[in-house]
Amino acid sequence: MATTTAAVTLTSDLLSDNMSVSASTTCVKAGTTADGLDQIEYGYVEVATGDEYDLIATTPTAAKASKLFVKNHSIDETYYIAITQNSQAIGRLYAGDWMFIPADFHDAAADIAITSNGGTNKIEYALFHEGTALTTT
Amino acid sequence: MATTCTISIGSDILSGFGGISESMTLTQAGTVTDIDSTTGFQRRKLSAASAVDLVTMASELIEPKDSVAAKIYIRNIGDGKGNVDKSVGVTIGVNAEPIGKLYGGDWLMMPLTCIDADDVTATPATDDTVVLEFVMFYEEA
Repeated sequence: MATTTAAVTLTSDLLSDNMSVSASTTCVKAGTTADGLDQIEYGYVEVATGDEYDLIATTPTAAKASKLFVKNHSIDETYYIAITQNSQAIGRLYAGDWMFIPADFHDAAADIAITSNGGTNKIEYALFHEGTALTTT
Repeated sequence: MATTCTISIGSDILSGFGGISESMTLTQAGTVTDIDSTTGFQRRKLSAASAVDLVTMASELIEPKDSVAAKIYIRNIGDGKGNVDKSVGVTIGVNAEPIGKLYGGDWLMMPLTCIDADDVTATPATDDTVVLEFVMFYEEA
């Protein structure tokens, strides 16, 4: 059985009492307590400015568990990608930013899409999941 | 005044996958200046399978700046008494769009627009008590 773990450490001195949070989770299939996610899509793409593109080409099956990591490896701090899901704007990842979310993919329109701004952005992504609706040739 | 966040992902799904280890410093949009505002670390107990706002953008004491570099961290810590059920979760949404479900122990870090309509919502799958920890970092409008 496959095992995928995701750990985070968040620190901030914005408050007088400095904040430090650490957490770790094992990523499991929906509705289970210990059956780990067993499929992965891992890639690196350069995205030119202009059009909006689906980052994930095949849609993981709805109602299953998925975890999506995205990092913007651009160096110029003015570059960013705008993230949308199902046409809903989520936010922006500027150069050096990353995100980690439990992507829902609740229907065919719920893909994660990105639009490059400032210049060509370099994007790393990893989708951990438990099944996709493959497209027949 | 730095805010940093580090992620480490390990997986044996794919032979040759060496894992992911990345760190970011939260900065203001388009600059290398550190992000300057936060909601502070908060804890919210939910006991009903209905949607609630974790963050109501229009109600923040300090108006967040729209469409810049805000981020939010959210974690499902179970019932708050040490019981963590990985088989049930809380759906996190933005402006009614389900982003994904945080099962017991799961966490997320994601960017936000902070536009007034784009509230961050939480919808538990059941009426059982579940506790979320969260903190938002943003730029002051």
